[in-house]
Amino acid sequence: MINTEQQRSASGSSQSPRSPSSQPYLSVSVTDPVKLGNGVQAYISYRVITKTNFPEYQGPEKIVIRRYSDFVWLRDRLFEKYKGIFIPPLPEKSAVEKFRFSAEFIEMRRQGLDLFVNRIASHPELQQSEDLKTFLQADEETMERLRSQDTGYFKKKPADLMQIFKDVQSKVSDVVLGKEKPVEESNPEYEKLKHYIFELENHLAEAQKHAYRLVKRHRELGESLSDFGKAAKLLGACEGDALGKAFSELGMKSEALSVKLQREAHQLLMNFEEPLKDYVRAVQSIKATIAERANAFRQQCELAETMKLKEINLDKLMLTRSDKVGEAEIEYKELKAESEDSTRRFETIVRLMNEEIVRFQEQKTLDMGIAFHNFSKGQARLASSIADAWRTLLPKLEACSSS
Amino acid sequence: MINTQRSASGSSQSPRSPSSQPYLSVSVTDPVKLGNGVQAYISYRVITKTNFPEYQGPEKIVIRRYSDFVWLRDRLFEKYKGIFIPPLPEKSAVEKFRFSAEFIEMRRQGLDLFVNRIASHPELQQSEDLKTFLQADEETMERLRSQDTGYFKKKPADLMQIFKDVQSKVSDVVLGKEKPVEESNPEYEKLKHYIFELENHLAEAQKHAYRLVKRHRELGESLSDFGKAAKLLGACEGDALGKAFSELGMKSEALSVKLQREAHQLLMNFEEPLKDYVRAVQSIKATIAERANAFRQQCELAETMKLKEINLDKLMLTRSDKVGEAEIEYKELKAESEDSTRRFETIVRLMNEEIVRFQEQKTLDMGIAFHNFSKGQARLASSIADAWRTLLPKLEACSSS
Repeated sequence: MINTEQQRSASGSSQSPRSPSSQPYLSVSVTDPVKLGNGVQAYISYRVITKTNFPEYQGPEKIVIRRYSDFVWLRDRLFEKYKGIFIPPLPEKSAVEKFRFSAEFIEMRRQGLDLFVNRIASHPELQQSEDLKTFLQADEETMERLRSQDTGYFKKKPADLMQIFKDVQSKVSDVVLGKEKPVEESNPEYEKLKHYIFELENHLAEAQKHAYRLVKRHRELGESLSDFGKAAKLLGACEGDALGKAFSELGMKSEALSVKLQREAHQLLMNFEEPLKDYVRAVQSIKATIAERANAFRQQCELAETMKLKEINLDKLMLTRSDKVGEAEIEYKELKAESEDSTRRFETIVRLMNEEIVRFQEQKTLDMGIAFHNFSKGQARLASSIADAWRTLLPKLEACSSS
Repeated sequence: MINTQRSASGSSQSPRSPSSQPYLSVSVTDPVKLGNGVQAYISYRVITKTNFPEYQGPEKIVIRRYSDFVWLRDRLFEKYKGIFIPPLPEKSAVEKFRFSAEFIEMRRQGLDLFVNRIASHPELQQSEDLKTFLQADEETMERLRSQDTGYFKKKPADLMQIFKDVQSKVSDVVLGKEKPVEESNPEYEKLKHYIFELENHLAEAQKHAYRLVKRHRELGESLSDFGKAAKLLGACEGDALGKAFSELGMKSEALSVKLQREAHQLLMNFEEPLKDYVRAVQSIKATIAERANAFRQQCELAETMKLKEINLDKLMLTRSDKVGEAEIEYKELKAESEDSTRRFETIVRLMNEEIVRFQEQKTLDMGIAFHNFSKGQARLASSIADAWRTLLPKLEACSSS
């Protein structure tokens, strides 16, 4: 880990105007998805381009090739090392097999990965990580070797992971119901946070489900409009003259608008449903951090308990002038050091989490605000152009009726 | 039957001599549910405003139910062969919708249109049966209705058979399969093809119009669900982000209402005219069947007459004592044949006029329907665009705070 106290401000691609070359920056982009390999071994590789003036990095530009499991490796390493920090979420791992190589899925994954890396690169703590440097700079053989050695947190069986989440959830409700003598922090602020996170996850999942349905309904309306347009055109061909012309015009307009509607459905997906899903994943990452904090707290408590017992035992041995006193004193000192380590680790997590909550809230407000803005603008634009399209049809229909 | 041609329109009168220009104006209003349980039915007020001398004017109100309209349609179909009798709205609906406000209103509109089309048809408006329908008291109407042995009271199977005959004969003639007992009139063949093709295309268009209505409704429901979910998120978040979620939620719910209202409008203003068009075409098919019947009858009588003529000549040559009898039979047959020919020719003449009227009226009706449809879509899209735009400054305020 790099020790310089200097906080770096690294943003996407902007630099301070005052001293362009001396202001530190770290800018990453994930681009150019390419399908490699064959059959079941097939996978997508991405170009990761790093532009930076950090002294430890090979600058000013470095390009490496990475695949999805490399990003997973990075996320796992950061999760292990930076307990207390909300590690940015990855886009989903596997999709329904037949969509795995569809253009839409690949593009959404690329955007998700680009966002993932940039969030790490702009986080004051995480950007200093050695593992990040490795990820951005190491050659492909080194990366492959590291990836296959990975025994990261998330490599645990999904069942283990779920159990930890369940523990957190049940402990939360147990404490709330006053059921159990807490081996949990009795910190009302923290309780509020945990409740907020769990409630948020439910509401987000609901909103995301309905956003998905909205996209689906836009598509369906578009398809119906297209079918109707075709039927109207057939009628027009059958009728002939003014009426036939009217049917044909109506048919063509319907088909054109159908295309618009289906394009809008796609836009909705990219600009709105995806940010909501990203929000859900971020919340799940926070839950994992909450589980880590609970673990650290439990560890601290257990060590404190064990230490107390050892102290009582030591006193007993000293009173009886046992020859085991020396051994016991050494054990006690070791335990005390462990306990102090554990306490320090826990307190670090608490401190970091407090900062993280503030950052998370600010960033989320910004991200969702932008997403809503794009959504509303898109809807307004679509509705406007639909209104115009129908209006241009009116004079043509009037011409047909009066002829 | 009254012989003078009258021009009767819905409710407008000539500005020149308001009281002397003949008019016949009808409206079907005030649906009221009467009776109980399975006997329940809807009754309508039929208001007639007219200055026709044979009518009790200037205004007369009677109470009629759906089966009275059916009686009128059947009587007109029997008496005015060759004329396209205006169509009735559908007879029965799925049981649970039979008394829904929407169904009742659509049926009322359909019945009003039905009667007005009759009242503005130069031939049909002179019908005695129309006068009975518009003027007779309810007991008389009930008595007439129960006596009805009209065309459409035939078993549906019989009716279908007639249509099938027409359809198969059309294709047989087209394929040159059968020695035609059909008219070999190329204009008429074209008409029949047009009618059958039109029916298919209309049914398709009407099916897709119905689906469009359904999809508008579904989109509206999804938007409402999404709005509710967004509002819950807003309540959970609080502050600027919460406000943004809430605003988005409320706007979505408001637009959902608009969309579902538009779906209803689409139904009334567009899908219904298309269905009416389909029913009109089915009525024309029934008239085509009548014409085919009349033609067949004419041919058969002509054939029979020829045979009788040959037989008569034979009898005259042999100086049989049956000659007198045969001559009388022949004269009777000749009169029948001439009647049949006259009936057929009347049908042909009327149908030619009807086709022209039908095309003109349809062009007008569908033109209006499309116009309303497009205007409605433009208005809806406009107001949706405005609604989203009013949201933008509120969202910007949330993001920058």
